[in-house]
Amino acid sequence: MNEPTNPSEVRNPLGLSTIPSVSSEGLVPVGKRTSLRSYLAALWNRRHFIIAESRAKMSGSTRKNLLGYGWLFLNPLLSVLAFWFIFGFILQSSRGIENFLGYLVIGVFFFQFTGKSMTGGTGSIRAGAQMIKGFQFPRAALPISTVVRNFLDFIPTVAVMLVLIAVIPPAEVITWRVILVIPVIALQTIFNVGLACLLARIGHKIPDLTNFMSIVSRFWLYGSGVFFSIEDRLADYPAILTAMQFNPMHAYLTLVRNSLLYGVDSPAWLWILGTVWAFGLLIVGFLFFWRGEESYGRL
Amino acid sequence: MVDSEPQAPNIVAENVQVRYTVNTNDPGQRSQGLRRIGNAMLGRRGQTTVRALRGVNLVAREGEMVGVVGANGSGKSTFLRNIAGVEQPDRGRILVRYQPLLLGVSAALQPALSGSENVRLGCLAMGLSPEEAAEAFDYVVELSSLGAAIHRPMGTYSSGMGARLRFAIALAARPKILLIDEALSTGDATFAERSERAMDELLAEAGTVLLVNHAAKVIQELCTRAVWMHKGEILMDGPAEAVAEKYRWWAWNVAKGKEDVAEKLLHDIVRNAVKEEINILEPELVKNPIPRHAARATKKERAFARHIKRRDHAEVIEETATPLLASAESQVWPEKFETPQSPAKFPALPKPASEAFSAVKSQAGPPPLRLRPSDKKVILRASDPLDRASAIASEGDLTGRRLALQARKVADKRYQDRQKRRDMDDSESVSASKTPHESSIGTHSRDSKR
Repeated sequence: MNEPTNPSEVRNPLGLSTIPSVSSEGLVPVGKRTSLRSYLAALWNRRHFIIAESRAKMSGSTRKNLLGYGWLFLNPLLSVLAFWFIFGFILQSSRGIENFLGYLVIGVFFFQFTGKSMTGGTGSIRAGAQMIKGFQFPRAALPISTVVRNFLDFIPTVAVMLVLIAVIPPAEVITWRVILVIPVIALQTIFNVGLACLLARIGHKIPDLTNFMSIVSRFWLYGSGVFFSIEDRLADYPAILTAMQFNPMHAYLTLVRNSLLYGVDSPAWLWILGTVWAFGLLIVGFLFFWRGEESYGRL
Repeated sequence: MVDSEPQAPNIVAENVQVRYTVNTNDPGQRSQGLRRIGNAMLGRRGQTTVRALRGVNLVAREGEMVGVVGANGSGKSTFLRNIAGVEQPDRGRILVRYQPLLLGVSAALQPALSGSENVRLGCLAMGLSPEEAAEAFDYVVELSSLGAAIHRPMGTYSSGMGARLRFAIALAARPKILLIDEALSTGDATFAERSERAMDELLAEAGTVLLVNHAAKVIQELCTRAVWMHKGEILMDGPAEAVAEKYRWWAWNVAKGKEDVAEKLLHDIVRNAVKEEINILEPELVKNPIPRHAARATKKERAFARHIKRRDHAEVIEETATPLLASAESQVWPEKFETPQSPAKFPALPKPASEAFSAVKSQAGPPPLRLRPSDKKVILRASDPLDRASAIASEGDLTGRRLALQARKVADKRYQDRQKRRDMDDSESVSASKTPHESSIGTHSRDSKR
């Protein structure tokens, strides 16, 4: 500052410098990680934004097409038809599984939900860089909104799938257990939120993970028994089979198939396994993400 | 600027330092040996550390509009991002009274959605509830004045229209601290008037605006105070007119290729710079400024006093009339002095330390140019008010103090002019009874001003 413009010169004829004192009362450090309770409260306040943002992204991706939202239904419809044509009509394979088409379709669609949440969550911080640099909000909104968007995509898919499975022979055993699909979807969504939060922070720290994720996803797909029954294939290796059965995706898929296709009761340990995985990963993933809250602005 | 009673601070930045590690193609920065082979395999050349901010101190108070000028890459935008809390500084801290809102060139709006959908999305993003967003919608449409274009996809907007919409959305959240990063430069004249009005409202509500702009003219017109940043440091901090004028003069010289003049100017400013320090008083200290060990002593005293109180023995005190102040004075001082009193003599004040410092240092040639102050708390200040600094910088100009006063007067006058114009506009609009939509917006903004 130029000497004459310095206001302290007036009060300070001796030329002694004073350091201005500022009271920090009522001032808060900006952008610091808040306590878990207030973080959750802030996240809850942004719930409308999370939903609006996911819907905006979803409609933004479909609006450029001629059929718009129609693709949300057409896409699963066409894929089921393709599966039916190849496996049911040409190959006529069942691989020793009753109602193989239904088995396959459930596996593919339910796994896609988690797979997309996984890859989306890994890149969610990078994809939301503009928003992170734009304004302050709880960053956990980003991975959560990825899962919400995939969930919104998933609902019409499930509706189409239910209709097609009922229409295409062989006929299913329809019991009251169809309702059990709803808690399974809820558990799987909770699991996906935890997974997306966990991978979002790791993916932000190690950007290379995005390349790696598609391979992990593929491996997981085969390991979850989407195309074949792992109980049959791994009957000779009981150790690996036991390990595979702790796979949460296998638990969710088995639960859905039991309730929807075969109309039988699922063992209780599958329900417990699915619940423990869902809430355990939610807590671990969310806490892990929250601990890195301050670092996401730097890319 | 010369306030007898400073306003409460809204932003306090203390010793903010930021460094980035980035890849570089610079052959001089190339790493050696094994690391070089590793880098080559990964497709990298080398890495370098850039110090974007080197210890910035700033206090922005209520009702202040602070302009930030500086060349490209001087750390202006980084500083704003740090104040917004989007990034964390490596060292130092930033305290704010309210959540600042950063209005950057880039914002979180979806180009595929229409403007009106983006308004809702933007309002929700800033933490408004859906009801508040619906209420704010009319305000945003009025402020952005996009007309029918609000229903078209945002991807089809021109850059100016997009900037207008973003600015309007940002103000819809009624932020108390607004950080503007060169966003207003794209708006046209009608929008400039509207945005000025909106910012005046914000300032009237004890808010603070930080405005980054290359154009010194914009800063001069809008701001009351300006800060000149250079290579991650604050060079000057003072009235907008004076700082912007000097920045302009420097930039003009740089642009004309007169490196020597620019260097000299910069050098003088650096030499005259007061390394700003801020002493932040913690709230617990403010409330109870006695240190802990001293507080313990008072506690003991209190216990002692309580013990005294417990005695049921009251001492009898003789009551005497308190003497009046005037009568006491008349007793001491004689009404009239018979002999003329000689005026009191005071010893001559010692010379300022800085002058003594400069007297020793008056050697041939200027001291080496140092932009970065050392870690020691050295306080640089002008040794002589008539030295080359002021001679060059404010040659044939008013002194800084008068500039400050003038800047304040001009700002006041401008504000009053604008206010007058606004009142006229409002009365006109009321008399002409425009569309009910627009008049309702007018009352809304006026209400908020009260």
